Amino acid sequence: MGLLTATGVVAGYGAADEILKGVDLRVEPGEIVGIIGPNGAGKSTLLKAIAGLLKPKAGAIALNNADITGREPRDISRMGLAYVPQEHNIFPSMSVRENLEMGGYVDPKGAKARIDGVLGRFPVLANKRRHAARTLSGGERQMLAMAMALMVEPAVLLLDEPSAGLSPVAAEVLFNAIIQINKEGVSIAMVEQNANEALAISHRAYILVDGKNSRTGPAQALAQDPEIRRIFLGG
Amino acid sequence: MEVLQLIVNGLMAGTILAVPAIGLTAIFAVLRFTNFALASHMTIGAFAGFVANVTFGLPAVAALGFAFVIAGLVGVLSDEFVLKPFRRAGFITTAIGSIALTIALENIVRFIFGNQLRGYDLPILRDWNIHGIRVSPQQVENFVVAVIVMAALFAFLSFTRVGKSMRAVADNPMLAAIKGINANVVARLVSFVAMGLAGLGGMLIGLDTTIDPLIGFKTILQIFAAAVVGGLGSIPGAVVGALVVGVGEELSLLVLTPAYRTAVGFIAILVVLTFRPRGILGQRAY
Repeated sequence: MGLLTATGVVAGYGAADEILKGVDLRVEPGEIVGIIGPNGAGKSTLLKAIAGLLKPKAGAIALNNADITGREPRDISRMGLAYVPQEHNIFPSMSVRENLEMGGYVDPKGAKARIDGVLGRFPVLANKRRHAARTLSGGERQMLAMAMALMVEPAVLLLDEPSAGLSPVAAEVLFNAIIQINKEGVSIAMVEQNANEALAISHRAYILVDGKNSRTGPAQALAQDPEIRRIFLGG
Repeated sequence: MEVLQLIVNGLMAGTILAVPAIGLTAIFAVLRFTNFALASHMTIGAFAGFVANVTFGLPAVAALGFAFVIAGLVGVLSDEFVLKPFRRAGFITTAIGSIALTIALENIVRFIFGNQLRGYDLPILRDWNIHGIRVSPQQVENFVVAVIVMAALFAFLSFTRVGKSMRAVADNPMLAAIKGINANVVARLVSFVAMGLAGLGGMLIGLDTTIDPLIGFKTILQIFAAAVVGGLGSIPGAVVGALVVGVGEELSLLVLTPAYRTAVGFIAILVVLTFRPRGILGQRAY
């Protein structure tokens, strides 16, 4: 049993709609797990189902051996899972500091110390703590979104396409931050279009195709697989 | 001097108008519909204040608190049991439902209190004349109360955890849910505060004139105009919009008879929607 396990998850956005058709996922303590696949494979849907934004029609999801299937996002957040959506992942009219306060909304005790800690990790945000979040650059916004997620001191962090829309330089800074967060003990499941980068920093990876598990294994091995190289890694 | 007098009158009226306008725009920012039932909640607040002031003999300032609380509570109940079920059908349906609600609530007030004009129990005081500008002590008191209430609201939204959670839901409701903010609790809180402000505004207007069951209905256009002009959904925008409408209405008296001054609200909406559809300050909640 892993730290986070999803077994046979079936989920979609409507009564007759099944994006996920029985997906399995396991995240062990200390791992970065990459989730890659073509558009429409159900990668983001899987994260939403785990975070409680979509109620699975079948299957089970457990965090630290506790069943979280279909529970409310705030309950799941309290239990130690933080989710960073791909888009609209900050409160644009609130200041950086207020965004962090809202990031730790479910656990207000000791919030000030945690804000100081998170700002220490992201100096670029510390320098802009009073700025409205809408004034941040794309990379800074993604940093802020991750910093907000860290405010609940999660055991597992779910990241949905963190590098989407970022310049290569900003994406590199972000991936370094993800590696650093992982080294400090946070397990990470990350959906990423940039399959090369995802496999480079992940310990293991899952490849989803058409709402089903296609391949699973150590990230390095998948990165060397000729078929996967041809389909996902551009040769 | 006449222009200066009109501007002072407009600023006084606009400041009072800003109180319910903030309520209208706050509901739009969080619940995503225009709640025209604000009109009847102004009436309910005005009459609740009347009961506190005239029947129970409380001073007007204390009666304002009564107006806020009663209108706020009615706001929470009417939203929970009447408007909330409409919200699934979309914002236009909900807004139309709020018009039906306001007519029903207004007629309940009419059934209880009748149609006649009523006045609060206030001391009769002479107007002040400051360098040729005439203002009544009641106008000044109303102005001060409105400014204090708005300052308190801004402090609540800026410095309290609950206030910030309301802004977060207004800003990004999906992310607010992910972060564990309970949207239902925030919706009830917004209904209480917004309709409380409407009730307070209804009584403030009544303190300067008289009250009857149509007091809210007669003012809702100006309030709607203020919110749209400032940027529907923007709380500072509602204040700016209310001042623009208040001063605009008074200045219109230079060229129009008083009967036509309500046209200023329509004209302001027309001009803003033509040249700056998001309003003067845009649609940011705060």
